[in-house]
Amino acid sequence: MQPETAYQEQELLFKQKKKNLSKKRMDYLLLLLPTLGIFIFFFLLPLFFLFITGFKTFDASSGVGNDWTLENYTKFLSDTFYLGVLWRTVKIALLTTLVAIVISFPVAYQITKANRRIKNYLTLIVLSPLLISMVIRCYGWVILLSNNGVVNNALLKFGWIDKPLTLLYTEFSVVIGMVHVLFPYMVLSIMGSLERIDPSVIRASQNLGASPIRTFFSIVLPLTLPGIFAGSVMVFSLGISSFVTPAILGGPQVKVMSFLTYEQVAVMLNWPYGSAIGFLLIFIATITIIIYSKLLTTSKKGVAIQ
Amino acid sequence: MSYLCLENVVKTFNKTEVVKKMNLEIKQGELVSFLGPSGCGKTTTLNMIAGFLEVDGGKIVVDGKPVHLLPPNKREMGMVFQNYALFPHMTVFENVAYGLKLRKVSKDEIKSRVAEALEMVRLTGYEKRYPRELSGGQQQRVSLARALVIKPKVLLLDEPLSNLDAKLRQEMREEIVDIQKRVGITTIFVTHDQEEALAISDRIAVMYEGRIEQLDTPVEIYNHPQTDFVSRFIGEVNQVQGKVVKTLNNQESLVSFYGYEQILTRHLAKNSVIDFYIRPEKIHISLEPNDGIVVKVDRKMFLGAKTRYILHNKENKHIIADIPNTVLNPDHVQEGKDVSIQWNSEDLLATKK
Ligand SMILES: Nc1ncnc2c1ncn2[C@@H]1O[C@H](COP(=O)(O)OP(=O)(O)OP(=O)(O)O)[C@@H](O)[C@H]1O
Ligand SMILES: [Mg+2]
Repeated sequence: MQPETAYQEQELLFKQKKKNLSKKRMDYLLLLLPTLGIFIFFFLLPLFFLFITGFKTFDASSGVGNDWTLENYTKFLSDTFYLGVLWRTVKIALLTTLVAIVISFPVAYQITKANRRIKNYLTLIVLSPLLISMVIRCYGWVILLSNNGVVNNALLKFGWIDKPLTLLYTEFSVVIGMVHVLFPYMVLSIMGSLERIDPSVIRASQNLGASPIRTFFSIVLPLTLPGIFAGSVMVFSLGISSFVTPAILGGPQVKVMSFLTYEQVAVMLNWPYGSAIGFLLIFIATITIIIYSKLLTTSKKGVAIQ
Repeated sequence: MSYLCLENVVKTFNKTEVVKKMNLEIKQGELVSFLGPSGCGKTTTLNMIAGFLEVDGGKIVVDGKPVHLLPPNKREMGMVFQNYALFPHMTVFENVAYGLKLRKVSKDEIKSRVAEALEMVRLTGYEKRYPRELSGGQQQRVSLARALVIKPKVLLLDEPLSNLDAKLRQEMREEIVDIQKRVGITTIFVTHDQEEALAISDRIAVMYEGRIEQLDTPVEIYNHPQTDFVSRFIGEVNQVQGKVVKTLNNQESLVSFYGYEQILTRHLAKNSVIDFYIRPEKIHISLEPNDGIVVKVDRKMFLGAKTRYILHNKENKHIIADIPNTVLNPDHVQEGKDVSIQWNSEDLLATKK
């Protein structure tokens, strides 16, 4: 069709522009495709099946039955043992996050203040736990914490205790092990925030009469909240879903959600119940993170948390 | 009686003295500029006064009391930073109120004093904004309000205008001087823009390599620079060489500038060769060929009210002359032609080495 009037011509141009735009969008999509594919097929789809399976009945011969049911969830939510495990899992993850924040902040603070060369070495040292296999690191803690381990032996020798303390296979040992693995994530993300603070802002605070401590709480800490948040999300989600560390350092006494899931799926072959437990874990973790982010955003409006 | 005194203040970084035995006395309510090239120690000196750097020698006295051993939060000084340094997580109100809260001022008084400070910098109505929602000029005004609201003993400004565009700079500097005079606060203003320093200062401290070369009023600094550095640094100058032909008496000598002889009211040793400085606007051009130093016109530049002539003489010495177009019609001067120049002997900048 030949454009007859100027108006039509413009209309045509406009349409062409729109076409170009959608073509551009296609380009973006093409670039995203590989990642998107992996994300959909290996994450979203399995998650969806997990969700579905959680509402199926258990069939002793094939694992997943054909009938729909809510029983898996009601069973979990009405049993104090299972609820206890859920609470313990959340508690351990929260404690790990809290301890990680407390010990990471001073470390991150010192590293950012150090000069460039020392900074590189310190960062490497902080990252070193990530370089060692999780299993080996955990057995290291077993050697330290067991009844005739290094810690108990030393305490006995100094005469500070009469009989060995139960350190291993407790929530305490699990938290210690997890903090050890996960605190580098916290240090790195707090460092990111600290490095972005303009030094003259700190000076301005002192100049206006704030002591160093006051400056820390009024200026430095609020400005590092985004880093603390990002680190917390990482540490909390890795902590709440961790399997190896609680298995080795907690043993059968300290069962956590991921262990329950494993038990149901791999040992009892009760896939529907395992799915329900797994999904509850995801649900609780997400809710906790959302609440946490809401708390932080309402406390400080000026800094963007997410 | 001076209000702020630096006595033999020294600062050393890695064994090099960045500030060398500096002495400075500033009267109450005075605005003194630190003016000097990059790296001459302006910021370092200011940071020592504010307490962000320790002095390595000497004393800093404010209002009769030594302060150089106090931490910055005990010095009662207001500082305005080059990059504003507002607290990004606080609103304009909270930023300005910060210093008052630390001083345990009552809520009602905080409200009224913050309102007063914001009115002074013409930012009433912006209380609830966050710094990132303000323009550079507005941020700098908040920063000024925040520093002044605590009624500090001294106001320190480190290149407060250098991040603003040219027009805003001029506006802001007038505003700053206006507020400074109204509040009557003793102020140090660091800048490397000489026009800025000349325009706003009561006195200027011209700094060079960690020393104050001259501390004087803008007029004195411009018309009577005391050292070679100040002559060259402030305004534009031509350097000319004079040879002392003979000493006439105790106060007068006959000096020859490239053959052009002039009597100077100074006692100078016979046969010595001395560098003098003369400003471009103090040079007169005569179209007569033998009326002073004979020079060739290389180029002329029309600059509106005046014309700049770029000249050189037989010894290939380059000289710049700025002549108002009302005094000399530039059409009468042709590039490539010879003219002669001269100057009044009292316009030569007399400097001690
Ligand atoms: N922390 C430091 N460590 C080592 N040398 C420093 C330090 N701070 C400043 N210097 C040096 O001290 C000298 C003076 O620095 P200063 O910042 O006071 O200069 P300035 O006059 O403010 O310059 P500018 O106009 O560029 O801001 C410079 O040579 C600089 O390299
Ligand atoms: Mg500086």
